This record gives sequence, C-alpha cells and structure tokens, in this order.
Amino acid sequence: MERFLPAAQLTALADDLAGSCHVLAPVAHAGSVVFRWYRPGMRLEFSRMASTSPKAATFPQTEPLLVAQRHEEHKQPVIEATLPPQARTVVLGCRPCGARGKEIFGPVFLGVAHDPYFARRREDALFISLVCTRPETTCFCSSVGGGPADPTGSDVLLIPVQGGFVARSVTEAGAAFLQHALFEDVGARGAEADAVVTQAQAAMPPSHDFSSAPAKLLARFDDKEFWEQQSAKCISCGACTYMCPTCYCFNITDDDLGLISRRIRTWDNCMSYTFTLEASGHNPRPTKAHRLKNRVSHKFSYYPSIHNGVIACCGCGRCIKHCPAGVDIRAIVHAAQEYAQ
Amino acid sequence: MNQHNPYLPQMATLVEVIEETPNIKTFRVVLDDEEKMQNFTFRPGQVGQLSVFGVGESTFVINSSPTRMDYLQFSVMRVGEVTTRLHQLRPGDKVGVRAPLGNGFPVEAMRGKNIVFIGGGIGMAPLRTLFIYMLDNRADFGDITLLYGARTPVDMTYKAELPEWLARSDVRTVLTVDAEYPGWEHRVGLIPNVLLDLAPSPENTVAVTCGPPIMIKFTLQALKKLGFEDDQIITTLEKRMKCGVGLCGRCNIGTKYVCVDGPVFTYAQLKELPSEL
Amino acid sequence: MLQQLKDAITSRLPELDLVLGWEMGFDPFHATPLYIREAADVERLVVGPWAVHNLATYLPGLKGKKVGIVVKGCDSRSVIQLANEGLIRREDVTVFGLCCDGVVSHRKLREKLPADLGFVEEAQWQADVLRARVAGQEVSVRLSDVLADKCIACCYPNALGADVLVGSERTASPQPVACQESFEALSSAEKQAFWQETMARCIRCYACRNACPMCVCRDHCIATSRDPLWLGQENSPAENFMFQMIHVMHLAGRCTECGECERACPVDIPLLLLRRHMNRVTQDLFAYEAGTTVGQTPPLLTFQVEEAGINERGW
Repeated sequence: MERFLPAAQLTALADDLAGSCHVLAPVAHAGSVVFRWYRPGMRLEFSRMASTSPKAATFPQTEPLLVAQRHEEHKQPVIEATLPPQARTVVLGCRPCGARGKEIFGPVFLGVAHDPYFARRREDALFISLVCTRPETTCFCSSVGGGPADPTGSDVLLIPVQGGFVARSVTEAGAAFLQHALFEDVGARGAEADAVVTQAQAAMPPSHDFSSAPAKLLARFDDKEFWEQQSAKCISCGACTYMCPTCYCFNITDDDLGLISRRIRTWDNCMSYTFTLEASGHNPRPTKAHRLKNRVSHKFSYYPSIHNGVIACCGCGRCIKHCPAGVDIRAIVHAAQEYAQ
Repeated sequence: MNQHNPYLPQMATLVEVIEETPNIKTFRVVLDDEEKMQNFTFRPGQVGQLSVFGVGESTFVINSSPTRMDYLQFSVMRVGEVTTRLHQLRPGDKVGVRAPLGNGFPVEAMRGKNIVFIGGGIGMAPLRTLFIYMLDNRADFGDITLLYGARTPVDMTYKAELPEWLARSDVRTVLTVDAEYPGWEHRVGLIPNVLLDLAPSPENTVAVTCGPPIMIKFTLQALKKLGFEDDQIITTLEKRMKCGVGLCGRCNIGTKYVCVDGPVFTYAQLKELPSEL
Repeated sequence: MLQQLKDAITSRLPELDLVLGWEMGFDPFHATPLYIREAADVERLVVGPWAVHNLATYLPGLKGKKVGIVVKGCDSRSVIQLANEGLIRREDVTVFGLCCDGVVSHRKLREKLPADLGFVEEAQWQADVLRARVAGQEVSVRLSDVLADKCIACCYPNALGADVLVGSERTASPQPVACQESFEALSSAEKQAFWQETMARCIRCYACRNACPMCVCRDHCIATSRDPLWLGQENSPAENFMFQMIHVMHLAGRCTECGECERACPVDIPLLLLRRHMNRVTQDLFAYEAGTTVGQTPPLLTFQVEEAGINERGW
C-alpha cells in the first residue's frame, strides 16, 4: 500500500491520532529534540534526529511491574501485576534505525523468559518511520545490518518527497493505518520516492565489516592496557546506554509508599559502578575499563555470538554524538579488529 | 491473555527461622497456595528470589532438598538492604518467592560416582541441598565425603544437623576451623590443607565446592594437585542479579548468564569463559 | 599559541606519565580529550573553540600519576579547587595554562546552521570566523555569535595558577548572561513550572554528574544508593529535579562554573541556571568564588559561629 501525506497535514495527523491512541513523536522542546508523548500544541520536529530514542514505546524508562498492597498494618499483602493497559501506541517519525532497535533486543524479551510487559507494548505499537535522506557523521546503520530506508521493525515508511511524504506500508497493520483520511492518493510520486531511497542508500559511507569483531574483541578480553586506553576519556556516565535504541539492561527496585509498595523496572546502565556491585562489596567490573569492555563486547561480540550474528547496535550514532567526551564505539571495535597479535 | 509473568512472586509464609551464626539465618518458607506448594519441583542447586515488599528482592540458593518438600529453605547472610530486612522477619511473616531459577547440579551425570563436597562458610548452603538429596538417594552414589570448614565454630551453619551427618556411617563428614578454638574437637586448618590431607582419589569422583573466592582459589589448586580434571570439579557462582531470568543484563560472564546458564558450572566450563568473576 | 604549547609539553613530557589535552574527534565540529603518552601524540593536539571539555574532570581518577593538563581559564579554577579540597595532589600535576578566546556552544552553533551539526562535511576556523560546509551548503559563523554562555560571562580568560602559561593574556570583559537574568526574574511558581516541564525530558543518565570535575563521589553517589535511600529510581520530574537539587547543594561553594554539567546533558537541560544561582548565593553570603585562590578553604568546609554574611537573628 502506498499513499501520500502532505507535509502540511503532518500535525493534523498527529493531533488526530492523539485523540485515540498514545503517540510518541520527536518534539522540539526548548532547543532539544526528544521523543515525547505527543499532545496537540507540541511542535513535531522531523528535520533533526531526536537525541533520545523511541525505545520507550516498548520499553519505558520506568515500568511498574507490580504493587503489593496491605489493607491494614501486619496483614498479608496482596500482590498484583501492573501490566500496561492494552492501548494502541503510534510511534510517529522515528528513524528506521530506531524502529529496528527493538527488533534487535526483542528476541531476548520474547524468548524463553517471556516478558509480558514488553510483549504487550510491542503488540500494541505501530512504527511509522521517516526514511533518512542524508547520513550524519555519526551514522553507521548500513554497517550493522540496517540502512536509511530499512523496513525492519517499521510498519510504515515515510519517504520525504516534494510537498510531503510518500507513505509505504511494510506490514498489514501499516496498510490499515494508511486508510486514515488524511492520507491522499499517491499519484505519480512513487518514482520520486524510489529515487529518494536510492539516493539515500548511495549517500551512506562505505560499510564497515564487523564480522571479525566477536572473536577479535574476545581475544582482547584480558588486555588490560587496551581497554584502559580505549576507556581513558570515558567519564563512565550513562548517556550512551540511555540514548541507545538497543540497550535493554534494567534495574528492579521497590518503592515503599506505606501500606502500598511498588516494584518498578527502570533502565539501568552497565557503565555504572553499582551495576554489578555485590552486597559483599565485591565488584567483578570495578573500573570503567571493565565496564566499557563489557558494553562494547556485549554489543559486538557476546550478543552476535548467541543471537545468530545479530549485532546489538542499530548504528544510530547517538552514543557517539551525545557522549560528553566524544567516545566513538566504532573506533573501539575497529581498534580491536585491527589489533596486531 | 493470562500469560506467565516471570516477575510475579508467589506469596509465602515463614514457618521457621533458625539462627545459624551471628549474621546468618536460615528461613523455612511454605508457599501460601497449597496446590503450588504440592506441585513445586526443583533441581538441587537451583536458586530463588526472596522478596520483602517495599524493600526488594535478593537471590539465594534453595538449600533444602527436593526429596524433602515440607518447606523451601534459604540461608541468608546479613550484608545488604534486603538481607537486613529479612533478618528482622519472624515466623508467620510473609515473603515473596520466585523459584526455581537457574540450572542446578548435573545430578544425573553424578550418579554412580564418588562425591567430594568441599564447603566454606555460607558456601555450605548450595552443597547442603545436593548433600541431602544424595543422602536420600544414597544407593545411587558411591563414596560421599563432606569437608566443611568455617573460620570458627561460631561461623558454622547447620549446626543442628552436623551431629547427625557425623554419626552416619555411609558418609564421611570432616569439619574444620581455621584456628584452635576452646571446646572444638574436630580438625583445625584451612580447607585446602585439610583436603590435601584427606587426599580423596579422583578416580570416578566428582568434587563439588563452594565458598569465598579465596577458598575456592586454593581449593582448586589442591584438587588439581590431587589429580582432579577440570570437568570433575563443579562449583556454583554468585553474581548480582535482578531479573533472574536472563534479561536484565548484569550477571553475564561473556555470553553466559549466571542466572540461567548457572549458577552451577564445572571448572572446565569456567575456563572457557572470559575471566570476569 | 599551539606551537608554543606543543613545545612546552614536549619538553615536560619525559618527567610526566601523561598529559591531558584535546585532539579533533569524530567530525570537524568536535574535539575530544587526548591522552598524550609519547612525543608522537603531541602532534595531534589542538586548542581553540572546539576544546570544550574541562579535562580537570579526569584528575581525581588519575591519582598517583604524574599528570600534565592543558587548561582554559575556567578549567584552571577546577584544578585549584580540587587541590584546595585535597582531592588531588597539586605537586603531581603540571598545569599548562591557556589564554582563552572562548569555546563554542554546540547548541548555539546548531541554530546558525542550515542543518543539524551531524551534517558537517568540512569546517575550518579563519581567525574568529568558522567557515564550514554543512549538508552541501557553505556557511560562515562568527565565534562571538556562538560563544558558550560561560565565555560571555568569563572573568578569568587566562588560566590561574598555571605552571606554564601560553598565549598572550586577554582582558576579561564579562557580560551578563541573558538567560540567567530572565530566569532570576521569574516568580517561584514560574520557576517551579519551568523545572517541572524541563525535568520531564531528563533521562537521569548522570552525564551532568560524571562530567562535573567537582563531583567526586561518583561510584558512591546517593542517586543510586539504597542505603541511605534518598531517591527512588523512577524517572519523573520530581525525582529528577530532586537529584539536581542534591547535586547543586553538594556543589555549593565548590562549583567553578565550568559548565560541563550543561554541556554534557544530551537533552540540553540548562543546568547552569541552578549552578550560577547557587554561586551568587555563596558569593553574597561568603564573598567566596571557588577555584580562584590557591589554598583557600570552601566556606561550607569550614565552621564559624558567626558568619559575617549571614544575619542569623535578623537584628
């Protein structure tokens, strides 16, 4: 299915959708562009890639897992799972890399240990992705299995053309979405859209071959000096993990609210000292060198080794672009790959 | 849609609390849902998460044996937030239980073999489940030796059971403490040294060891000296865990997740993993 | 200036384990910290408007090493403050000070460009004018139009307490920071509403904390501690703001206003509004400006029965 959305109708579409479902969209917010739950009156911003990722649509930063409620002191608590309410979520204007992110870590949550919270949100979410026409200096999606018009994880691809977007459905749910009255007949714009996609793909820098990374990173595991050098400028914050569309590590903590307590799941950060700190005081990853090694190796070695070669990175480049110290994950993996034995 | 929710604990009641040492208590719990309690199965070595609602969850090995299902037993050392609150609980109090988790000991592969248990301090907990399982299936296994050590007699767990274990003629139980102690009638010496002294034969034998890292390190050296091969040595690991089901991402050693691929590993398996204990 | 600096570093390098400087980073708009370990590394050194990072942040983590560090005026205050608080051993540090013309605010630069920063193809400074090609379009931007706010308000363009000072000394001409003045003019309710809205986009990644040279608890921060439990892990404006308030209070009288918290924030939260405000308070109460005088103790690390600037009884 292929339809046309005039640029002038974009806000009207978002406004209309917001009346019947949750809309997560890149919104200009005092100089920043971040994904927010859209409300009419907010300003959609499609021209800049949002700093944050659309990960929250399927994996929110805070997810209540359960509540334990005592009706009176000392009485046995009643435990109730707090599954998200079944409700349609539309992610409007994510990039193909962001839509693909959840497909990369999804198998972990939908595997042996089926995560009902992720599963429900995934089931209810529709991803309307905006095809990228020009790569940024930090973009490397095509080196990790994606591309500027990659349909993986998207339900509809919006291809920017003169005056608006050619909207192509990828899934059946996407095709149904295109029945919305604000979409128009595509007319003869199909060829223009094809040209945009071809041009976008051609504009990508040459792909880097990461296939030797799993073994090469593992070979550097005990090379303390290598990892100390690679992590020297890292300040061990969590900007990279929290911006990342594919990072899925989480924490579980209880909030005690008196007679009610909540157990919440929150994004956690493998670059934090406390991430692996054991109650005894022992920490298997005591320095930022240990932690960066695990972060990079998880994405480019461990994960592909146990998930059919899939690299746990969608190449969006947010971790590079937003790193306060300019740490470049590509350079670290390249260094391991090129390391002379 | 009423799918299994891996994060949802079963409500359980503490039926007994045993003070083992000044900072270790053993908790016996029974699931409140009678049917679930009756149908509960697990393998020795599997772990569970105990919840104190409003405080949090922590992981402990189920140290009772699947052959004795009157209750599930966990031994808890008071070291952090959750364990401190657990220590304040009394019989009748409620906890949450998520269990069983993890892989457990390769019991089938151990049948017909001689078994040497080497436990140090709280490290006796995971050995206890397997030890009792074997006592209850005594004919399936060869010679069984238990070497259990602690810093002092005060630090020894399962004191109430030790006389029975010592008295049994079908197992050899050896106790040791690090230094002389008034009234102590058993061995004195560090576990690896006592092990060398006992010198169990590696022939058709599996060694199962658990304890503090330093003890494990020297015990492995002793076992190697005695001629044990890497795949004849089994240990159980501890890592900080949250989800317990292989998702949250903190207990991995390379590609292996201690919460699902472990906590039980042979020394041969551990050697294959990156060195990040 | 750059050659003078390179020469100074080269001559001191043999007695040092490493020197902290900057080199160009992942694109022509970004520098990145450089660890100079051998003479060949010196060639990669850059200074100038891209050298935004305050390298003093790394010093507490390099304890025990002989470290050289290149500092701008603002960064030099952090070195002094760290030494004043005993968080680094000044005798282990060799300070290569710059006379600084100011650095770029990438946020401001973005607004001057036809497309986002990431579409840069080429960029070069010609004196104080940046000539660049961005998304196929040629642009030129004056440094004065994209200066970081901290540079507009800068009182110390020449590094303080440097062992080696390079460049020709500048005269400070501090200007008020417009956004601070308009923030201060808000009512309490308006400020509350502003933070409620702004903290909604905070993701609690702690880049602000870890980029801060004076934030030295790091691994033991109350933000993630469960004992004591001061903050829940929920991401909400209330919890996020609470963390910032704790951060500000811990920095009261210690903050050198280097602006790294705000620069590091990936979602552009104007954290300096809080820091600058608190610095005004400590200035008013204690006549103290962190990191400007060697050997001075921060006011909140001392105790005086009668603080001259605090009228306790209201008489």
